[in-house]
Amino acid sequence: MDTAIRVEGLVKRYGSFTAVDQVSFTVNRGEIFGILGPNGAGKTTTLEVIEGLLAPTEGEVTVLGLDVLKRRNEVKARIGVQLQSSAYFDYLSLKEILSLLGSFYPKCIEPQTLLEQVGLLDKSGSYVKHLSGGQVQRFTVAASLINDPELLFLDEPTTGLDPQARRNIWDLIREIHQRGVTVVLTTHYMEEAEELCDRLAIMDGGSLKAVDTPRNLVGRLKAAYTVKLAMDKPLTEEQMASLKGSVEFVQEFDGNSYLLRLKSGPSSLGKVLDDMVRSDINLERLEIAPVTLEDVFLELTGNELRD
Amino acid sequence: MLVFTLTNLKMMSRNRQATFWALFFPLMLVVAFGLLDIKGVGSPNLVLVDQANTEASKLLREQLAGIEFLGLEQTPTSEVAARLRVAEGDLDYLLIIPVGFVDLSPEGSSIAPASVALVHNSRDLQRNQLVEGVLRNLVARVQPTSLSNAQALHVVSEEVTIPEVSYFDSVLMGLIALGIMTSAIISIPVRISTYRNNSILKRLLVTPLPIWKYFASEISAHLVLAMVQAGIILAVGVFVFGARVHGNPVWLFFIVPLGSLVFLNIGFILSAWARTPAAASGMGNAVVLPMMFFAGTFFSTTTFPWIFPYLAEALPLTPMLSAMRQVAIDGAPLWETWPQLAIMAGWAAGTAVVAAKVFRFS
Repeated sequence: MDTAIRVEGLVKRYGSFTAVDQVSFTVNRGEIFGILGPNGAGKTTTLEVIEGLLAPTEGEVTVLGLDVLKRRNEVKARIGVQLQSSAYFDYLSLKEILSLLGSFYPKCIEPQTLLEQVGLLDKSGSYVKHLSGGQVQRFTVAASLINDPELLFLDEPTTGLDPQARRNIWDLIREIHQRGVTVVLTTHYMEEAEELCDRLAIMDGGSLKAVDTPRNLVGRLKAAYTVKLAMDKPLTEEQMASLKGSVEFVQEFDGNSYLLRLKSGPSSLGKVLDDMVRSDINLERLEIAPVTLEDVFLELTGNELRD
Repeated sequence: MLVFTLTNLKMMSRNRQATFWALFFPLMLVVAFGLLDIKGVGSPNLVLVDQANTEASKLLREQLAGIEFLGLEQTPTSEVAARLRVAEGDLDYLLIIPVGFVDLSPEGSSIAPASVALVHNSRDLQRNQLVEGVLRNLVARVQPTSLSNAQALHVVSEEVTIPEVSYFDSVLMGLIALGIMTSAIISIPVRISTYRNNSILKRLLVTPLPIWKYFASEISAHLVLAMVQAGIILAVGVFVFGARVHGNPVWLFFIVPLGSLVFLNIGFILSAWARTPAAASGMGNAVVLPMMFFAGTFFSTTTFPWIFPYLAEALPLTPMLSAMRQVAIDGAPLWETWPQLAIMAGWAAGTAVVAAKVFRFS
């Protein structure tokens, strides 16, 4: 398969702080590639190096077969970039902003065509400040498509949006993808990553934890179900050891609550519950759910994904 | 780039509030100065050419020197040189004591008495009358009382007509420069810090637009704004309040963009430190207001104490004001202001280098 982006040994340091540490991955043409991680994981920094906005401290980045450092302008002409929380000029209508941005590129799409695509045609004469949050986000996606890019970068495209607006953006991204545009997006929403992405990179603390399809990532856990237990007193070490013997994974959180992972269905929970009854432990709450990316993330990083 | 420049102008024209106030401040001062009709506060200067060199003429010089208001200059000069200075408006009063001015010594009395000539310009009628009266009095006093009325010496007044310049004509140039300086030094950092906070600068960086084109478009839009601003202030001063421009006003529109360029560069430099638009506006004012006073926008700084006259020379507004006044007041053509234009060009180049060094996008 054709490669759209190749990142090799990327390091970005600010003084003694390492924002991105030895990150390597490739993005194939035609896929939606997600970078998932909490705030401060290094997602935006990685993206900005790929986009040619930041020079890496170490490593090589090739975009559409071009070295980003050496042929920055050629790369910029062929990619579309939506920045995290970027505003636009006051006192210019949507149509005028798109015309202005279009004038910076060797080729560009008609502003009206783009506005129609994102459902903002009736707002073409309005100022950005008069749009709703979801409309602004759709407009920034439209603005990033002005040069008809082969590769589109979206930095947290749905952060701060309500569920309805979020679904609208997802539909828009799928539409763009279907036209053959390769999409790279960052997100800290599991749901978004699972829903949209063909492949995912999981980042935390500046380093890459895993790259795979959402299905394979979940499959790595070798567990099908997650069980959350809350009980009236903490488990003794002995009880803990016996629990670990019968399930895949045990983690303690919030004092008397425990997280378990089961290889097979809920039936294997029977033994665990029997053990508890015998040990005179009263169960206060029990939740069973299929394993999700959230669990993958938890296992890879030891952290829950914070919003 | 043309598209960007035009778009910038479009944004400025739509941001009516900011544009209005950029114009309003200097215009308000134009109205204030125009209505108040403030007279120049400069005191006169006087040169005495003593061709008689007698006891009486020396006595007269001493007495003139005693009157501080007259500003008697002590450096000796020739009549021709002094007359030239009157004609150019540099010298207010020239008193010529002719050979044969009353001689108090016995042998001198045979020489026929000659009249004292007072040469002055036509600018300040009231002051001329005052000075003439004082001089007549003094001349009468140094004459021996023995002289009869018929023999008494007279002061013959001689008026040299030079273009009339009011304080308002001069301050109008200051107000044009002030308006241009204010809108450049304050507007640029406010815009840049707003753009930086909104990631608009970053948004431009992800496009293949060479970034110098962004600066060029920002500068050209502001230069157009400066020309319009100068035109409006000049028109209001001339047509509403009757200011006079003695030189060719077209030359002013060559000096204005050069000055504006210097102030825009200073604006770009300030923007490097301004984190918020509010801070930017405060910093702009901190630069603009002292510069306005010390460069002589409203009054001459030559009478300032201590180092301030030298400080004025070190400000970029000073050569701009000086060039504009040479054109507007003294009627000089543009090329005669080349020393000022050269200093301004130097400022423009220097500030551009600093701006390029300190500017930051995020």
